Amino acid sequence: MSNKEEEYREIFLTEALENYTEINRLLTVLEKNPSDIKPVHALFRITHTLKGNATGMGYEKIAEVAHVLEDLFDAIRDERIIINADIFISVYKAADIVGELIHAVKEPRDVKYRGVKTKLEVLLREAQRNHAVTINTHAVLQSISETDAGDCQLDAIAEEYSDEESVDLKFSFSDLVQVPVQKLDNLLNLVGELIIERDRIIASGNGRHSTSEYSRLSRISSDLQYSVMDVRLVPVDFLFNKFHRIVRDAATKEQKSVTLKLKGTETEIDRNILQVISDSLIHLIRNAVGHGIEKPEIRKQAGKDAEGVVTLEASSESDTVVIAIQDDGAGIDIPHIRKRAIEKGFLNNQEATQWSDADIMMLIFEPGFSTMEEVTAIAGRGVGMDVVRKALDSIGGTIHIQSTKGAGTTFYMRLPSSMAVKSTLLFELSNETFAIPLSYTESVISIYKSDIHAVAHGLISVHLGKTISLVFLNDLFKQEKNSVKTLEQLHPETRIEVVVVTFNGKRMGFIVDKLLQQKEIIEKPLHKPADGISYISGVTILGNGNVCLVLNIPGILNVINHNQFNKVSL
Amino acid sequence: MSTKAQEENNQTSGYARTFQIVVFRLGDEEYGISIDQIKEVVITPTITRVPQKPAFIKGVANIRGNIIAILDLEQKFGLQKAEDTMPSNNNFTLVIDSNEYKMGVLVKEVPNTLSISSSAIEDFIFTGDGNAEQSYIKGIVKLDKRLIIMIDILKVLSQQEEQQIFKKQAVAI
Repeated sequence: MSNKEEEYREIFLTEALENYTEINRLLTVLEKNPSDIKPVHALFRITHTLKGNATGMGYEKIAEVAHVLEDLFDAIRDERIIINADIFISVYKAADIVGELIHAVKEPRDVKYRGVKTKLEVLLREAQRNHAVTINTHAVLQSISETDAGDCQLDAIAEEYSDEESVDLKFSFSDLVQVPVQKLDNLLNLVGELIIERDRIIASGNGRHSTSEYSRLSRISSDLQYSVMDVRLVPVDFLFNKFHRIVRDAATKEQKSVTLKLKGTETEIDRNILQVISDSLIHLIRNAVGHGIEKPEIRKQAGKDAEGVVTLEASSESDTVVIAIQDDGAGIDIPHIRKRAIEKGFLNNQEATQWSDADIMMLIFEPGFSTMEEVTAIAGRGVGMDVVRKALDSIGGTIHIQSTKGAGTTFYMRLPSSMAVKSTLLFELSNETFAIPLSYTESVISIYKSDIHAVAHGLISVHLGKTISLVFLNDLFKQEKNSVKTLEQLHPETRIEVVVVTFNGKRMGFIVDKLLQQKEIIEKPLHKPADGISYISGVTILGNGNVCLVLNIPGILNVINHNQFNKVSL
Repeated sequence: MSTKAQEENNQTSGYARTFQIVVFRLGDEEYGISIDQIKEVVITPTITRVPQKPAFIKGVANIRGNIIAILDLEQKFGLQKAEDTMPSNNNFTLVIDSNEYKMGVLVKEVPNTLSISSSAIEDFIFTGDGNAEQSYIKGIVKLDKRLIIMIDILKVLSQQEEQQIFKKQAVAI
């Protein structure tokens, strides 16, 4: 918690220092051309912002001085005060005090600010009394003694005026640097290249040098890589906090009463991933309010609180982040989806009865599938859910649903915490190396030919009680459709290596030639004319300099399903 | 060199520009690409085959950290002979300089560069095969007894390749 306060303080300091610099700049502009009203407007705005920020952070002193300055610029703006050289002296003085107060936040020390504050207040009071008074310093001092100013304040003024010359005009620099994301992306790409190059050098030097020669290089470059990745991580509350308003608006439109609870907001995730999924989260949250939570009357009948609760929770699991969107509403009406799927032609009657509830629920992510009878303002158009899945596919994330009728629904989004590095399993196929992302890999099994059964034109096997449909990856790449024939050509004693992958609840086994090791890779995209391959999401460069293709599991499974190629019960 | 060609130049145009082309052999013919379209010539690196692409795209390769697609124009132009299919014959790769396309072209021998006058290029004449898309052929260069077919490498892909991919996908679905 204190960590977060520290962070807020840093952000405040950065902004406050910017404000301070800007105030000084605008004052010099104004001084050169006092009749120009634009800088006054800007000064009013900045001092107002500074006051607001300082109040929010509890820095009363800064807020007080900023407040007086704000009033003063307001008066100048309304031409209640005509600005002159004397006022400038006071205003500059006040600006310096603001600067010192901001520094004092970082290095606590005593800054005398009451004198300047009082002086400005007096200026303002004078202006109230007489709309066009020109005041000089002596008049101010007189008026202070005449009015209600206390002794201590007078002392303070005297003191400050005595050391006016010694005002500290050190330049100061914020401890925070704002960097465009583009630069971070660049940096990450360069680190990626470095890691690839490192692996290549280590591989080529194998045997000639002892491995310890490279251990320092390995360690430093790994540290560098993780540091760069760390820079890109942002806490999810940055995004989560925006949802209070979205929930409120959606609930108002639907005439429902909903509160949003946030959990695990300190969980960190790559900024780009957060950006990619932000729209999906909006969809899911709106759906939770629109479809999930019932109207207050219905909730009362069901014995629940009239107010529904939507919980947004983030948690880290090794190198993934799980975001759960939970509502305590009606739950998903599975029989209704089944019926709907048959009506819309997504399933035939037989399939509808065979498919498990979990599979049926995944249908809501199909394009054009909406279960709401009426289209409301915020939900029910049947777009959205398939957009959610596309967004997740693009970053290698997955989603699954848990729903209990009457008790609510939870969507679990599993996201990689960083886009830079993918954990993959390397395997060999026709003497070439491929990588398969571990996020989709469920298990790796080794079986014999006799364990594989030909069903219709496809192959299946049973492993740990689960039926897995198998495909020869080589056949898929060559667009060879006769898997049964490929199987017959194998020697009965051959061990068959199978990588079992899952995606959105669908399970499939890929038969590969040889399994190699696990490896963290940095994926690069393919460019024209080699782009647009649905089986491949990108490439990486191996230690030996060769290119290794990275399989796109969602792409492959989509092609298989749409082709009805080898389709057995999934 | 060829005085004939020069004479011809002087006759046809007094202001002919000279420019450089990279000449390489495909099948039994000589082909030329403007040197502006070539970034470098490298020894062909290991090629990784890719699925779902027409056969003339041999795969992708790593050239100093850049991933490029490797094209076999002999196959593309239908010039391939059975004994030429050995990849070891394709010793060099012309890396194409383009922001849009990241690719290289396989060639057997070290290509040489040639300075030619723009007037030495003759407009391409229709070969009689109505089905073939030939807009990538920019013209014919005649030097002595040599005949060089000038191609625009970027146009080779922009039309036919896309069509072929669509066809392949249609078949697959």
